[in-house]
Amino acid sequence: MQVVVITEGEDILSRIAQMFENVIHQGHGSLALVFLIGIIFGGIIQYTRVDKFEKIAGFAMLKDTIVPKMLFLAVGLTSIGLYFMIEAGGAHYHIKPIIWQGLVIGGILFGISMAILGKCPGTGPVSIAEGRIDVLIGAIGGLLGGLVFTLYYDDFFKPLMGESAGKLILTEFFPGHEHLVVLIFGIVVSIIAVVIPKKELFDEADLAQLPEDERPDRKQA
Amino acid sequence: MNRLPWWMGGILMSGLLLLTFSIYGADRPIGASTYVPYFAGIIFDLDPEKYSYLKHIANPGAWEGVMLFGALFGGFVTSVFITKSFRISLIPTGWQKYKNNSVVSRLLWSFFSGFIMIIGARLAGGCTSGHFMSGMSQMAISSMIFGTVVLIVVIVTGRLFYNVKEK
Repeated sequence: MQVVVITEGEDILSRIAQMFENVIHQGHGSLALVFLIGIIFGGIIQYTRVDKFEKIAGFAMLKDTIVPKMLFLAVGLTSIGLYFMIEAGGAHYHIKPIIWQGLVIGGILFGISMAILGKCPGTGPVSIAEGRIDVLIGAIGGLLGGLVFTLYYDDFFKPLMGESAGKLILTEFFPGHEHLVVLIFGIVVSIIAVVIPKKELFDEADLAQLPEDERPDRKQA
Repeated sequence: MNRLPWWMGGILMSGLLLLTFSIYGADRPIGASTYVPYFAGIIFDLDPEKYSYLKHIANPGAWEGVMLFGALFGGFVTSVFITKSFRISLIPTGWQKYKNNSVVSRLLWSFFSGFIMIIGARLAGGCTSGHFMSGMSQMAISSMIFGTVVLIVVIVTGRLFYNVKEK
């Protein structure tokens, strides 16, 4: 296999090539694996239909609970598996710091936009991939947001985020009982996922494209 | 079967997270918002040497950028062949039902919310993927703070922004 390396150039294509090159060399999985992770990520989001407006905006209206159920279950299961993987040396922690102002201000902005757009930065691209132009417009807004953030990072956004209060994980509050804490956390979060009442908001326009016997709203009736 | 049940989605997502965290996988968490300023830097032709933030995100931005290409591809193929939901659309059915019928209104709100979404995610240092899924799976306190704020604000916004009562 011939590896073409393009390190020179500042036009868009060269910089996209440099992006691939960076991933090849940064040691976080091979290029193919990272691409594959993306395919599976997009596939799961699409196949479970959580990229739909009716899922996240529906949750904001408390008319659909699929997204929190799926998220909590994923967190519950992963927390237990990951902890023991880290203990066995098969993974590492990648904890984000506690920056109070950044987390709270960012969380407020993020929550407002998630309810209105009905997507998050992970489900948005999957939605664009199934032909949603409104989300593409949202992505253009997002790119400008990213531009503004980059341009004014040093002068405005970094001071706004405040100082880091360090990186903490839950188990550090209970020295000596780490295993128990992990198990309880994982199990409790998974149980939350199960007990959140299942509610679904369907989109007629999508369902109409399916054959009658494959419609999920009919099956439940 | 044109859609997976939520529990299957949760189990599969958990498997993907563990694979990504594993030293035999990518040895890092999944994230999905750093790629946006990364691409903004490329599209608006900003010199990475001049902007400290672009330098700061050079590696995670590239990683997530490649993952994004995969997600677009995976999402497109799945929507065409499995869920059969691919169609060009300007306004979601739910928006028409609970907000209004105006395409212009939807597009303007989309643009606005996309703009503050990325600023919010970058201020907090993560999004649903990086904080909620990857961060909470590590039991990170920062991610729990973010997750709690987001959950509350999403529900409050939903109540105020949409005509929830209609039907």
